[in-house]
Amino acid sequence: MQLSFNRRITLVWSLLCILTITSWLLASARGHREFSPSTGVTIGILVAVVVKSRLIIQQFMEVRAAPNWLRHVTDGWLALLVASILALYLW
Amino acid sequence: MWLFVLGDLFIFLAYFVIFMIYRRWDPTLFLGSERHLDLAIGAINTLVLLTSSCLVALGVGAARRAQLQRAARFVQGAIACGALFLALKAFEWVRLAHDGYTFTHNNFFMFFFALTGVHAFHILMGFIVLAVVRRELRTDHFREHVVVAGAVYWHMVDLIWVVLFALLYVMR
Repeated sequence: MQLSFNRRITLVWSLLCILTITSWLLASARGHREFSPSTGVTIGILVAVVVKSRLIIQQFMEVRAAPNWLRHVTDGWLALLVASILALYLW
Repeated sequence: MWLFVLGDLFIFLAYFVIFMIYRRWDPTLFLGSERHLDLAIGAINTLVLLTSSCLVALGVGAARRAQLQRAARFVQGAIACGALFLALKAFEWVRLAHDGYTFTHNNFFMFFFALTGVHAFHILMGFIVLAVVRRELRTDHFREHVVVAGAVYWHMVDLIWVVLFALLYVMR
């Protein structure tokens, strides 16, 4: 039990770090065009934000074991966040 | 604690939306300003805060198994990570200000200093919260709900930074 809990938390941490490094590389991999607009890069970054945020909320904050209302509110917050950012970016 | 955390999350959601509205009005200025930030510091700070969150989560697990000394060490490690985060952030602020990019330089830097400043204030509050958690772990009859509530607050600080890193440093 102890091993599986620590292993799960460490695995989540590893995934979060991999996604952060991927975002870092994605943002800086275009050479002299690094700071030009890119819908592809932005959508990739937002996908990483969704996965990272959900991992933090569900695994670290333990919302996966929380009452339904809390799971719905946190999922709603994340959906609203990403939908707002994406809509304002693409508008 | 969850009521406060949810309230804070929705307040930050409003900040993020306002930031995106201003970014939409002048994307060239915002992208042009981003090049003056140190992407490496932003990314390393994200890794540091994720590590601190991981330590707090491991601390909660250790506390539940009644390994209180081990749990207190995890929490101490998380506080050290938070201090490293603030030191790197202060270094970045000072360097930007030295190069002339201050709060009043343009709208991007106004948002940058305001949002990272409010977030840094949450880290400082987090030090107090984690100190309370650490003290709780050193009592004979620790209360699990106090430890969990402190952990949830610290994870929220991490969660907000994950979004800030995306909006301020890597969005293109």
